[in-house]
Amino acid sequence: MWIERKALAAEIPAAAALDTRQLCELLAALGFPVDGVASREGGDVLDVDITANRGDAMSHRGMAREVAAKLGQPLTPLAPPPVAEGAPKVPVRLESPACPLYATALLTLNPGLGGGGTPVEAQAFLRALDASAKGLPAVDASNELLHRYGHPTHAFDADRIRGAVTVRWAVAGEKLVTLDGVTRTLLAQDLVIADEAGPIALAGVMGGDGTKVTEATRRVLLESAWFDPKTVRATARRHSLHTDASHRFGRGADPAMAAVARDLLVDRLRTWAGATLEGAWTAGALPAPAAPVTLSEAMLVRVAGEPLTLAEAAEALTRLGCAVVAGSDALAAQPPTWRHDLAIPDDLAEEVLRLRGYEHIPSVLPPLEGPPQRLSPDYLLRRALARRLAHLGFHQTVTYGFISPEADAAFAAPGNAPEGRTLANPLGREYSVLRGTLLSSLKEAAEQNLRQGTREVRLFEVAPTYSSGPAGPEERFTLGLAWGGTQGGEDYLSPARPVREADLRGIAQDLGLAVIPEVRGLGEGLFGFEAPVADLPRPGERIVSTFRPFSRFPSVERDLSLLVDLGQSYGALATAMRAALPADALQDLRCVDVFRHKSLPEGRQAWLIRLRFQVDRTLMGSEVDGWVASALAAAEALGAKLRT
Amino acid sequence: MDHLLPAEILEADRAFPEALAACADLDALLRLKGAYVGREGSHAARLMDLLKAAPKEQKRDLGAAINGLKQGWEEGLTARQTELEAAKKRLNALASSWDPALPPPVPARGALHPLNRLMDRLVEVFRPLGFHVEEGPEVETEAHNFDGLNIPEDHPAKASSDTFYLAAHPELLLRTHTSPVQVRTLLRVAPDLHRLGGIRFLAPGRVYRKDEIDPTHSPMFHQVEGMLVGHGIGMQHLKGTLEYALRALFGPHTEIRLRPSYFPFVEPGCEVDVSCPLCDAQGCRVCKGSGWVEILGAGLLHPNVLRHAGIDPEEWSGWAFGMGVERMAMMLSQTPDLRLFFENDQRFLRAMGGLD
Ligand SMILES: [Zn+2]
Repeated sequence: MWIERKALAAEIPAAAALDTRQLCELLAALGFPVDGVASREGGDVLDVDITANRGDAMSHRGMAREVAAKLGQPLTPLAPPPVAEGAPKVPVRLESPACPLYATALLTLNPGLGGGGTPVEAQAFLRALDASAKGLPAVDASNELLHRYGHPTHAFDADRIRGAVTVRWAVAGEKLVTLDGVTRTLLAQDLVIADEAGPIALAGVMGGDGTKVTEATRRVLLESAWFDPKTVRATARRHSLHTDASHRFGRGADPAMAAVARDLLVDRLRTWAGATLEGAWTAGALPAPAAPVTLSEAMLVRVAGEPLTLAEAAEALTRLGCAVVAGSDALAAQPPTWRHDLAIPDDLAEEVLRLRGYEHIPSVLPPLEGPPQRLSPDYLLRRALARRLAHLGFHQTVTYGFISPEADAAFAAPGNAPEGRTLANPLGREYSVLRGTLLSSLKEAAEQNLRQGTREVRLFEVAPTYSSGPAGPEERFTLGLAWGGTQGGEDYLSPARPVREADLRGIAQDLGLAVIPEVRGLGEGLFGFEAPVADLPRPGERIVSTFRPFSRFPSVERDLSLLVDLGQSYGALATAMRAALPADALQDLRCVDVFRHKSLPEGRQAWLIRLRFQVDRTLMGSEVDGWVASALAAAEALGAKLRT
Repeated sequence: MDHLLPAEILEADRAFPEALAACADLDALLRLKGAYVGREGSHAARLMDLLKAAPKEQKRDLGAAINGLKQGWEEGLTARQTELEAAKKRLNALASSWDPALPPPVPARGALHPLNRLMDRLVEVFRPLGFHVEEGPEVETEAHNFDGLNIPEDHPAKASSDTFYLAAHPELLLRTHTSPVQVRTLLRVAPDLHRLGGIRFLAPGRVYRKDEIDPTHSPMFHQVEGMLVGHGIGMQHLKGTLEYALRALFGPHTEIRLRPSYFPFVEPGCEVDVSCPLCDAQGCRVCKGSGWVEILGAGLLHPNVLRHAGIDPEEWSGWAFGMGVERMAMMLSQTPDLRLFFENDQRFLRAMGGLD
């Protein structure tokens, strides 16, 4: 909200002694940070940030109250020439508890008589706040009062109101054209001002077009009421109609200001537009004040962290406008009519600290009352997994949890219907489904990297994926990994070669995944897999495992170069050879080289199979020979031949 | 017929396989060969002398035994020689291209994401104070995301213009902050709170708000929530903890500043600024010349939040804070565009996240 320094100083003269920077610091320390300062014709104007609980501060007067309380200096008295009330000139009926108080006045405008219209100072004030003057004194005065004193008022063209004025709930389906020219269809929860023909204003939000003040207006009916904040908020939200008035009524206006604002408005119309008061009257009464709030000394000291006294607290609260009765171990504070946010003892404690300055709060480490808890195994597992993959050369990505239905369908499990994971109000179709797979996101990131000219892309993400369940999307942490491009070739000893599917299977195996996931082709030379993090081996509870003896005798390695068909299954061959060998002696069996060349027989390739044996004694050459012969025989049964 | 052979020869035969395996290169093998089957002084030579000197009737048996031994040794030696020669050939091939002046092969290096690194670091900073990590789902109930946090029923954040809801489950939404982890954790530990002696934890995680993607907004971002519940907890404990943590994060000379503010789930509430770590509080572009940077929102727990979890606010009190991870990462790194954190360019990730 814009606050003009000059207008602020008019409410709290002591503020004139502060320069702009000092004023900004003082406001920030009170909880009103200044987002920016603009230089306007009347001097500096501050863009003050006001939190949603402080509707009372949304005016120059409101801000001045805060400054006055902080400085301990007086406010300029607010004393408009009193307006004598009389019998209603127009009957006003209040039919809803959402409007307990409605002050009004009827005036005749006499533009020919003395009134020169909106004064230049008022116009400049409005311009400084980015609120333009309309040149209609009734409208400009209402607007000026709102910014200066915070209480929204409204002026109707009295000659366009038919019969009595009623504040009532709308009849569902009723229509109202608001000042912005939009036709609003009302709900039964909307509070309206109505005449005998129908609604003439949305209460506390916006006036109606049919009764608005124009240059032709000769008589005005003023409204200075108090409306229930919740009702105003709901109507403003329903009709997407957020106005200066709805912001203030919606956060809680000061009911005591209703009559004062009416009197101020009457005074301005008299002096600005030569208006004649026909009559002033009020329907309803001030709502009952909130109950006093009790603050104990114990709580004050606990919150503040130092031995503040009730006397100090009473002094601070009194400065803020509370009526305080101090007892021996607690005080009772009656909040002022403008503070709807002071409802519990904690609120009072905050006010005492706030006025005193948060910079005085001591700094103390909280004592440990119980033993610290461990980090959860799941969390540690994920953290260790990320570090491990980063050390293996992979880059951790962070991608959005929602993707397009097409991207989801490309890799999500077939049974995982997207309907249960679809957002009602996505940013767009491409962000509409809570993903059942990480691979689409990784594919996109990987391809983007490859397009940028990266030789090799290695990415991974550890993030939740979703599956549709009866009670909503079920969430589980998933590891996704993508690898593509050219591996190696970055130094003179490592030859370059394309990344292959097998490389990813190797990673999956190395991670110890219980089930080796399917490696999917994500694109040209780009592969990926994903697996639930729960499939990763959990680190054991034991810090050091139980000792298991191992052989200290030397192992014996033998290589077998086998000619096999090009289509030969390695798994079948390895299984057959293993079956032919004593399980307790065979330590390892693996293919260490593949040789394909035209010198080999047509349709054949050579596999170099390495066998490693070890037992709990020195192996005899002859027994190893026997085993190797058995393994060879098993291979030969599958069509392999020893290459010579 | 072993009784015909001297004990030391039998011992040498038993040791042969191990000795053979121990030969790491051809020179060692040559030495072993000399010792077992060399022309002079070897085990084989000694056996030949033995055979010559043996009585005639033993010569046949002894000869067979000696031949058996020699054959075993020779076969072993030949096989090992083949292996070692192949290995040597491989080494030679490498050695021919190896050049100490060229840069050596360096293992490929990946990186953690900078946002994850920052969250990990925060956890490390708070660990010594006894904080552990609590986590919660990203798909939350309206009750946990709003109601349990004293957020009024008609709060604008609940609107579908601000929060993502699930089409098939209108009561479910994507959490808009990590604060529902407070609600879940308090509900869980409430019955045990005396035994535990209160609770203190961090809750890092992803959150969602319906913001269009631009250089300073993202519909998904990260927060770290911190919470502590104990006896007699006041603003001094919040300030003390944050002062410790932010100094651990930004350096020992860091100053912090609390300013009054408002969040529905805390009372009193505050914003916390740190002295600008980039200019040493001298004033720069990042701190807009003020020397201070806003870093998080915090406050003492609103009694309604404790009550909602069945915890008596007359006995227990506590504080909570919430910190935007992207905001801090952008500030520390002076990254100009938030979208870079979600593009996952390897160059960015390596430069920003790294690994140490
Ligand atoms: Zn700076």
